[in-house]
Amino acid sequence: MQKVSILGYGVYVPCYRLKIAEIASVWGKNGKDVERSLGIIEKSVAGVDEDAVTLAYEAATSAVARAGIKASNLEVCLVGSESHPYAVNPTSTIVAELLGVGKNYMAADLEFACKAATAGIVATCGLIGSGMVEFALVVGTDTAQAKPHDILEYTAASAAAAFVVGKHTKNSLADIIETASFSSDTPDFWRRDGVRFPSHGGRFTGEPAYFAHVLGASLRLLGKTHTKSHDYHYCVFHMPNGKFPRAVGKRLGFTDRQLAPSLIFDHIGNPYSASSLTGLAAVLDMAKPGERIFMVSYGSGAGSDAFSLQVGKGIIARRNKALKFSDYLTRKTTISYVQYLKLRGKI
Amino acid sequence: MFKITMFQTGFEFWSFEFWYCFEIRASDFEFIINMEVAILSGVNSKFGELWETSPRDLVRDVALQAISEAGIKPSEIDAIFVGNMLSGMLAQQEHLGAFFAEELGLPVSAIRVEGACASGGLAVHLGVCAISSGMYRNVLIVGVEKMTDYKPEEVAHALMGAGSDVEREAGATFPALYALMAQVHMTRFGTTSEQLAWVAVKNHYHATLSENAQFPFAVSVEQVLKSSMVAYPLHLLDCSPITDGASAVVLSINSKHQIPNSKTVNIIASAVATDTLGLAQRKDLTTIDAAVRAGKMAYEQAGIGPSDIDVCEVHDCFTIAEVLAMEDLGFFKKGEAGEKIAAGVTTLGKGKKLIVNTSGGLKAAGHPVGATGVKQIVEVFHQLAGSAGKKQVEGARLGLAHNVGGSGATAVVHILKSLK
Amino acid sequence: MISPVKIWRNQKKTRNLLGREGKILTWTKVFVPPSGFEGQAPYIVAIAQLSDKTHCTAQLVDYEEKQVKIGQKVRTVLRKTRDPGTEGVIPYGIKFRPI
Repeated sequence: MQKVSILGYGVYVPCYRLKIAEIASVWGKNGKDVERSLGIIEKSVAGVDEDAVTLAYEAATSAVARAGIKASNLEVCLVGSESHPYAVNPTSTIVAELLGVGKNYMAADLEFACKAATAGIVATCGLIGSGMVEFALVVGTDTAQAKPHDILEYTAASAAAAFVVGKHTKNSLADIIETASFSSDTPDFWRRDGVRFPSHGGRFTGEPAYFAHVLGASLRLLGKTHTKSHDYHYCVFHMPNGKFPRAVGKRLGFTDRQLAPSLIFDHIGNPYSASSLTGLAAVLDMAKPGERIFMVSYGSGAGSDAFSLQVGKGIIARRNKALKFSDYLTRKTTISYVQYLKLRGKI
Repeated sequence: MFKITMFQTGFEFWSFEFWYCFEIRASDFEFIINMEVAILSGVNSKFGELWETSPRDLVRDVALQAISEAGIKPSEIDAIFVGNMLSGMLAQQEHLGAFFAEELGLPVSAIRVEGACASGGLAVHLGVCAISSGMYRNVLIVGVEKMTDYKPEEVAHALMGAGSDVEREAGATFPALYALMAQVHMTRFGTTSEQLAWVAVKNHYHATLSENAQFPFAVSVEQVLKSSMVAYPLHLLDCSPITDGASAVVLSINSKHQIPNSKTVNIIASAVATDTLGLAQRKDLTTIDAAVRAGKMAYEQAGIGPSDIDVCEVHDCFTIAEVLAMEDLGFFKKGEAGEKIAAGVTTLGKGKKLIVNTSGGLKAAGHPVGATGVKQIVEVFHQLAGSAGKKQVEGARLGLAHNVGGSGATAVVHILKSLK
Repeated sequence: MISPVKIWRNQKKTRNLLGREGKILTWTKVFVPPSGFEGQAPYIVAIAQLSDKTHCTAQLVDYEEKQVKIGQKVRTVLRKTRDPGTEGVIPYGIKFRPI
């Protein structure tokens, strides 16, 4: 089985920010309390003319630039999202067409709440590892929506993260050593077809959902690789809020230092299918060759995909070929709640 | 150079007699038709929000009156040219030649002409071509537009049919396109918003002397500058309105034999030029080059220059458009028109030489898109015939009409001469 | 509803205009939008000269007020353009983002 690597990666975060205190004041809540309990002060909001397609396109161009390949080299395009613009009509082909991939590729849209894209990465491991294809593009992208006044309104955010996956070379940015998944039918968070906003089971989204599956996949992966938390330099977990990734990290024996670089939630909130992947990108923005990364996604419904990665030599030369996650934090404009409603089409 | 009078034959053809002569210049073998197309009459409807008046009513009234004032029988009309832009898009009614031919009871050659806001001017041009070719003797030109049956956003959207798809996709409107030109003119030449406002002030003043204008009331510079912003830097009062209206002229072959009841005004030049559809592709954003070229061709056809013009109607769809027109037509040097207009140099009663837009222009008389080009001919016709009443420019002998389509993709320039 | 065939034919044009740098030649702010653009108003429409000297008309997005000026450097980005209503195919096109 051919070794598979990440050859390129890229992120995109829209420039608009809505402060948590602003949302809280609209609903008569104490801003400071909400900030503290969720661990966030502002979230990213997509512009009125942005959607999962445009976000994915931007992240993908960065990924292709870092990979140093031509878009036409790509033979697979998988896009995972909870906010695909169409119920029927693939986001993946729109993105691929505009990237200039050409016609000789396989594409599919994926959906599995927040882990749609990581499922895509597991799939490409098979496609590339088997020698079926040489280069694949996987994107996680979301312009997450939440019902006004719902707790999710504070955290549902927008971003995209894209990865070019291919055969291992000595210039790979990161090798995918092993993966393990853990799935079950657990309806903790869902959205019926035709309904605008998702619903969730409140506290049911915690222990039986997030923790059960993230821990389940983590333990499987640690077992498969015969490793322990201290064997890794960094860990990345899906971030639905500020508490869960920190709690699950602790339970697995990871330290704050191992977790800190991946905590993109603290800056922009939860961009659903792009959450753990943006966290991974943030780690790749600063990791050194040889360092090992432990990443676990989570998608409601529910399931987790866990990955053990090792940073490659190629990261040094290729990292600066595109914008980093931190670059997107300097480019921001604060909007009001009313402007937010206008941008997200709620009024 | 020698003049050959060829084919000086007259022959009977369906009870008409017609003559024509050619003039050939040996020096460049240029084939010029000596243009003398007589304007027998010109009539404008009331311009404004005419809720109870249908397009049929509009055209029927002006057309029958024009034919009557022309002193000819309706059966003497050989062709009807209709200028209109929006009927298809807004009312789903195409085929306007036949539509109005039926309304007038004249089942003759009838053709609808479209060139966005230059539709009316193009209809006149086609009439001139039709008569100059010798195929038609008396032609009725009608320009008509019915815009107030629809919501302003729908109309703004439909008007952008005059622009490019890229402009439509960018959410541009006509005020936006002219605003883009205004910004460059202001940055490059120092033209000010105040100077632009003077165009509106002047044209509104002229409109107070006009019984058919949509807005026959004065406005001040302050009012213009205080009016709400439509597309920066153009305010509401920098923009021509949405208007219903129709205009008609009867053109006739002018021969050595006096036509009964002919007034004493001829069209001596009729020129059309085009440029890129989209504003971004123009060579210079402070010039409507199509107008420059059409103007040059017209002056050449007429054998005159800008300083010979006594009175003119220019296409002030937005205040900046009049500034551009005055420069494009060679009346003022590039960059100086704003200052000159603000100083009153082209205002009736103030200006000494060239008076502009005595009709009130598009801004104050109104801009029923397809009618405007014809309305301009009507206005200049009455000025040269001495029948402009309170608006009369004394001693006006040479007049010019300048009609532009879109943001300058089409320009039509006519020059009229009084034979008195 | 915008013709899906026209959207499809435009893909190549859009693709070739993406990721290009340019500078603003002129701009305006549209306060009175045409139908289909109500939700976006007010917005900036600009003409920019791209690096190959061609000119392009598009909206300006993600800008700070001080970047709305003649001479501002911009890059072309992918955005949704016209409102397709609830049923139509979504048109994507070029807009300018200040660099």
